[in-house]
Amino acid sequence: MTWLSRLFPRRVDDDLSDEMQAHLDEKADDLVARGMSRADATAAARRAFGNVTRLHEQAREPWQWPTLESVVMDIRFALRQLRRAPALTTVIVLTLAIGIAATATVFSWTRAILLDPLPGAADPARIEVLESLTPSGKWTGTSWLDFRDFRRYLKSFDGMAASYPISLAVGDETHSELHWGEIVSSDFFDVLRVRPALGRFFPVGLDTAGAAEPVVVIGDALWHSRWHGDSSVIGSVVKINRYPFTVIGVAPPSFHGSMPGERIDMWVPAALVGQILPTSNHLREDRGWRTFRVLARLKPGVDHAAALKEVSWFASYMAKVNGERSTGMSGDLLPIWKSHWGIQDALRAPLLVLMGACALVLLIVCANMANLLLARATARRREFGLRLALGAPRRRLIRQLLTEGSVLAVAGSALGLVCTAWFAQSLHLLVPSFAAPALLDPPVDSSVLAFTAALACAVTLLAGIAPALHGSRERFGEALSDGGRGGTGGVHATRLRSALVVAEMALAVVSLVGAGLFWNSLQHTRAVSPGFTADHVAMSSVSLTLSGYDSARADDFLRRVADDITREPGVTSASYTDYVPLSIGQGSWEDLQIEGYTPQPGENMKLFRSAIGPDYFATMQIPLVAGRDFRLDDDSAHTPAMIVNETFVRQYLHGGSALGLKVKGWGKWFTIVGVVKDVKTYRLTDPPTPYFYVAARQVYRPEYGYTFVARTSGPADQAAQAIARAVKSADPTVPVFGAMSLTDYIAAPLRGPQAAAQLLVALAGVALFLAAIGLYGVISYSVAQRSREMGVRVALGARPADLLRVVASQAIVLLGAGLVAGLASAAALGRVVSSLLFAVSPFDFPVFFAAAFGMVVIALAATGIPARRAMKVDPIEALRYE
Amino acid sequence: MSDVSARDLFPGALEMMILRLLKQERMHGYALVQRIQQASRNLLQVEEGSLYPALQRLLKQGLVDAEWDVSSTNRRVRVYRITPAGAKHLSREVSSFTRMFQGIHLILADGTP
Repeated sequence: MTWLSRLFPRRVDDDLSDEMQAHLDEKADDLVARGMSRADATAAARRAFGNVTRLHEQAREPWQWPTLESVVMDIRFALRQLRRAPALTTVIVLTLAIGIAATATVFSWTRAILLDPLPGAADPARIEVLESLTPSGKWTGTSWLDFRDFRRYLKSFDGMAASYPISLAVGDETHSELHWGEIVSSDFFDVLRVRPALGRFFPVGLDTAGAAEPVVVIGDALWHSRWHGDSSVIGSVVKINRYPFTVIGVAPPSFHGSMPGERIDMWVPAALVGQILPTSNHLREDRGWRTFRVLARLKPGVDHAAALKEVSWFASYMAKVNGERSTGMSGDLLPIWKSHWGIQDALRAPLLVLMGACALVLLIVCANMANLLLARATARRREFGLRLALGAPRRRLIRQLLTEGSVLAVAGSALGLVCTAWFAQSLHLLVPSFAAPALLDPPVDSSVLAFTAALACAVTLLAGIAPALHGSRERFGEALSDGGRGGTGGVHATRLRSALVVAEMALAVVSLVGAGLFWNSLQHTRAVSPGFTADHVAMSSVSLTLSGYDSARADDFLRRVADDITREPGVTSASYTDYVPLSIGQGSWEDLQIEGYTPQPGENMKLFRSAIGPDYFATMQIPLVAGRDFRLDDDSAHTPAMIVNETFVRQYLHGGSALGLKVKGWGKWFTIVGVVKDVKTYRLTDPPTPYFYVAARQVYRPEYGYTFVARTSGPADQAAQAIARAVKSADPTVPVFGAMSLTDYIAAPLRGPQAAAQLLVALAGVALFLAAIGLYGVISYSVAQRSREMGVRVALGARPADLLRVVASQAIVLLGAGLVAGLASAAALGRVVSSLLFAVSPFDFPVFFAAAFGMVVIALAATGIPARRAMKVDPIEALRYE
Repeated sequence: MSDVSARDLFPGALEMMILRLLKQERMHGYALVQRIQQASRNLLQVEEGSLYPALQRLLKQGLVDAEWDVSSTNRRVRVYRITPAGAKHLSREVSSFTRMFQGIHLILADGTP
């Protein structure tokens, strides 16, 4: 027990020793004064005092923590008690495991995507994302020149880095692999505070001075897969997009780049963008070319609000001084989890909704557990009464009951954690694999463990405190007289249990309504017609900059491949585009000037667009309303042509004839040659938006890559093979990636909401089941308690229907209260989620009705069994039992 | 000293006597033992050391205060004083004990069930 004495202040011990010694001395002095010898007196004083050590122990006991033995004893007693009620224990542990597993799983996803987006970076909480805002307030990337000004002049930050994710071809002409890379400013690693695992990172000043030699930093995974973890990789030369680069460093294994949820394999300084993308020097020279993601580390002592103020002030200032292309622009500063670029943008809402639903379910689990424990505490009244009568202090009983609660919580959490480790791997349900090429398996690590432990503590307190307080209220006399006859369990307990059941049903109704709303919203979203026909269309992408193509070669290549695909058997038409509608990203836009249209001051004339090949509309089955499609002779030798959508005509040309009108973009005048029907280009849920198309032969922007689309009369993968064959015969060294059917592709952005809706429905089912258990428990308990009353009623002539009425009225009151509370809370919460719903009102009557109906049906089932038992009460049995 | 008289006469009795004596004046542990023996005319054999666990319990419950002082014999001793809460506790306990003693006494004196 020596370690225990260290737990409380030395003072107590020292004071006691001094005091006791003083007592012994004084007593001995007295005895000596009465004529005893010093030795005898000391001995006599000790005899009269008693065992000093034992008394010392006893004296400090009031100050001690519960001793280890008594805690172990409590736990063993708790285990024995729980074994005596196996059904109750099983229900509690299983429901807890479900609630905790669901919550911990969603937490592990949330952490991987929102809370810990930069694994491997030091102090990531101080890193925020700086975004540029277009005049209409929409976010966009930041241009290299703007980034450099921000970095030079802003005072709120310790450092600022730019990055631009891009796919890169690694290897020589005969064999190349695609890897995700980032084009970064030279201080990228310094700002994120990442140390090299091997070699070094980029030298400071590379951004302005220019690069003497092409250098690259590689990630740990690529180092192992391509160089087998050999340290001689430093200094070796690797071809990236066919240009030789020297490897100067290896990033540590924990670091996966700056894009949440993605694995970046290599980093190239922005000064070398000319070598990576031969046609893309405008990336660093054009202030209007807003492609970079900017990460900024806050200076110590500067908070978000102050930094944001400086960013927006400076961005507005730059918009004024930098002339036409920046007019109306502004800037924003966001924590990474709120920023727009990356997978977290699409998953934020589903994850938060799921987190909320899990919290609801866990609350129901707690209410259910409290309810069951209360029932148990009531059944154990005699035990508690007796212990109190024998002198156990009340807090000792509370401790015992809380121990029982925490034993249950620990068992449930342990089981839940096992399920979590298994569930967490299912993140791919939410994330399409091609959107995040290597989404990390969210690790079930120390922070998930800590989260689960915190949940277990919360559960113990939430679910254990009411039964503990209630159980320890017993009075000796009451418990032994009243409880001795299987009494009513006390008004207090009954009220508390009824309140808990009402809360359970209310929470279940809320989760039912929530699941219904999101399910409905998903169905509405799916029912939206995208404006093109995705069936029987396959797609595959190529990146021509990877092969070092200039615009003439690229043009030739695209035309030849499209032609070859058309000649494949079964293919009815084929084309290419630099943006496929309903992609996860939004594509690129251009600032337009439209003849005959005067924009309002500050109006956003930056419109999204696609650069396409001939026959694109035919392949996608987008109807041409007026004019003509692009032709092969829409090339650099002819007047630039443009095709716009119907909303474009309605918004800018007041519905008049568009054909022949001039529009200025990319510094030249285009002529509108056709009008097509609207297509959902970014999200199915977007309102009609002005959009335009240009001929890829006239606007060559190769860094985004091109995607071939082909329509067949047969299955879509037949067309995918046709594309692969055609590309191979045109140039075997151009890698083809992302082959899939268009149907699968456009379904991908819906996968997050879909998986979330399914999980919500599952959670609502669990909630409903738990509420049913709670109601069943309360009703059947009260039927058992009132069996004598029932017996008397039957003896006095009550019919079974009368007994049913007695039971049903209790259930109806509880159900009614639960429904009212649940529907009211659902209506109140509706406003919070309304922005996440599409074409569904947060007060959707059918959903509310269905939720209420579901609850009523389940409540009927839960009441039915005890009600039948009540109707079958045999008066003689019931009375004799007493 | 036998085990029967070891700690307490019955739960709370020693504490009550301590509170009662401290109500008259503040004193240290040894003085308390002396007073208990004098006042009870040595009828109560209290193991002297058992006073200290009792005092600690009272301290913990806030029924008494303690401070270090120097005794008349020039010794450094811890002197105890009753708190207002202690005084309230005492009067409550005394009346309940008195009733209990009366009950026991009636039965013992009469003897009929």
